[in-house]
Amino acid sequence: MDIFKRKNRIYVPVITEEIAKETLIRCSSCGRLINYKDLKNNLNVCPYCGHHFRMSIQERINLLTDTDTFKAINSDIEPLDVLNFYDGAYYKNQLAKVRQETGFNSALITGKAKIDGVDVAIGAFSFEFIGGSLGFTEGEKIVKLFTYAKKNQLPVVVKFSSGGERIQEGVFSMLQIVRIIQAVDVFKEDGGLFISILTNPVYGGASAIGMLGQFVFAEKDAMIGLTSPRITQLAFGMNFSRELQSAEKLLENGFLDGVFERKDLKSTISKVLKIYTNRSLI
Amino acid sequence: MMTLLSFERELATLYKELEEKTGLEKKELKNLIEERLKVIYKSLTPYNIVEVARHLDRPQTLDYIKELLTNFVEIKGDRISGEDRSIIAGIGKFNGLSLTVIGSNKGHTIIERLKSNSGMIGPSGFRKIARAVDIASNTFKTPILTFIDTPGARVSPETEKEGSVAALSEPIKAFLKAKVPVLSVVIGEGGSLGALSLLVSDRILMLSYSYLSVISPEVGASVLFKDRSMKKDIAKALKITSEELLNFNVINGIIEEPFTGAHRNPELTIQTVKEALQKEFELLLKEPSENLLKRRAEKFEKFKI
Ligand SMILES: [Zn+2]
Repeated sequence: MDIFKRKNRIYVPVITEEIAKETLIRCSSCGRLINYKDLKNNLNVCPYCGHHFRMSIQERINLLTDTDTFKAINSDIEPLDVLNFYDGAYYKNQLAKVRQETGFNSALITGKAKIDGVDVAIGAFSFEFIGGSLGFTEGEKIVKLFTYAKKNQLPVVVKFSSGGERIQEGVFSMLQIVRIIQAVDVFKEDGGLFISILTNPVYGGASAIGMLGQFVFAEKDAMIGLTSPRITQLAFGMNFSRELQSAEKLLENGFLDGVFERKDLKSTISKVLKIYTNRSLI
Repeated sequence: MMTLLSFERELATLYKELEEKTGLEKKELKNLIEERLKVIYKSLTPYNIVEVARHLDRPQTLDYIKELLTNFVEIKGDRISGEDRSIIAGIGKFNGLSLTVIGSNKGHTIIERLKSNSGMIGPSGFRKIARAVDIASNTFKTPILTFIDTPGARVSPETEKEGSVAALSEPIKAFLKAKVPVLSVVIGEGGSLGALSLLVSDRILMLSYSYLSVISPEVGASVLFKDRSMKKDIAKALKITSEELLNFNVINGIIEEPFTGAHRNPELTIQTVKEALQKEFELLLKEPSENLLKRRAEKFEKFKI
């Protein structure tokens, strides 16, 4: 059974043990069929070509943090539809639906956790929630995360995967970027460490915020840029090579500190965190 | 003849006739057109306003600088990757007041538009803005005036190589730290992240037929509807007009354009803007500068849940 009907289906769905045994998944990169269990056991990475499939938010938290140490904060902040946005359907209804489907109130999960024993404030964007886009709730939660981290003297780790601004919240989504930059700046000026992890994809205002980390790491196969190839095509009628927005290219051009395979992300972050928390203050 | 916008086309024959007429007849026809325009402009849709905002005959940043500033000296280049002509920055005198002006400039002619990338801002533009803000805040200690007229940020192989993603936050950070009053005026297009790079200010004014939007209505329609022709519906849904944004308290005031659009009377428009600027600076300069930074940060903090 090939459950990837669309070519670019990005999620590796959660299925029952029973079906899992017989389920094969076609890699959207190399085209080979992968045993579902092999894919899951390999952190959703294709065992043949190394293609990184997307992870669910829970899998992501499990990957980055020590077992059972993650505690969500501000998860009760509810989204807002200031514009009463209507594009053939009401944004309100879209929000209600996606909240029900995902169980989240926003595209950003924030909390505190331990990474190899080090206490951190952590945030992770969930692409399942309207493309991980940035609106009122997400802005509020990032600002609160950095404020919380500053107050508790914790380093911040944020995992990005976002299509950019939440169109349905209009100019207010854009204004969140200003608030976030302000909060991150105050945090950094206080000596705070911000480690940014860019996973596929990071576009628009989210890319600008993602670049604010003192350390910016990208996961293999991440695409990073101001506008996605699709929007670029729509807005500028221009097709440019996807290559230009690949993590590897950004590393070469001097905008990243490293590109890592999924399995190496946590250990890399952990090294930075340990040096930071064990430093002797001059 | 002036380029007619989609909703003005009914006047095409009248305008043509106008060219042939002389004397009293010409004057009467002119009045007739004027009356008709007034009616049309009374009920513009949000997308119509976008069309007016994009009219190439509207006064642009360079026109305002030429008319309103004396002794203007340009600040060019970002000292890193180049000189982005989509951004014009410099110092000069406005009515005796030393001022730093930073604006996006689209260009009227094809040649001008090629040179300025039609006002689409790239990484060197973003960094030039930050450099100009720094000079204004730390050296000249002059108020800063920004003119916003951009379809958005530029995306090309060059901008990706030079790092738009890293440069975009530079102007925002710089404005948040500027120890001088900052006033922004949206004079035409206020397109997405390009506009945002000039919007972090103490007061924001919009010309009556300008717009400010997170995405262009065309691209928004393509993304949400997969159909570009829905641009009019998206323009309405996004709430991008000066009136709507004033109601949301995103902006502080509207500068009324001549009834039938700035493009029909650039001189009068520039004069109206000048008067508005005088009033605004009088107000802003009364504010003790130590309050400014805090107030500016608080202002953006209010756009929350
Ligand atoms: Zn593969």
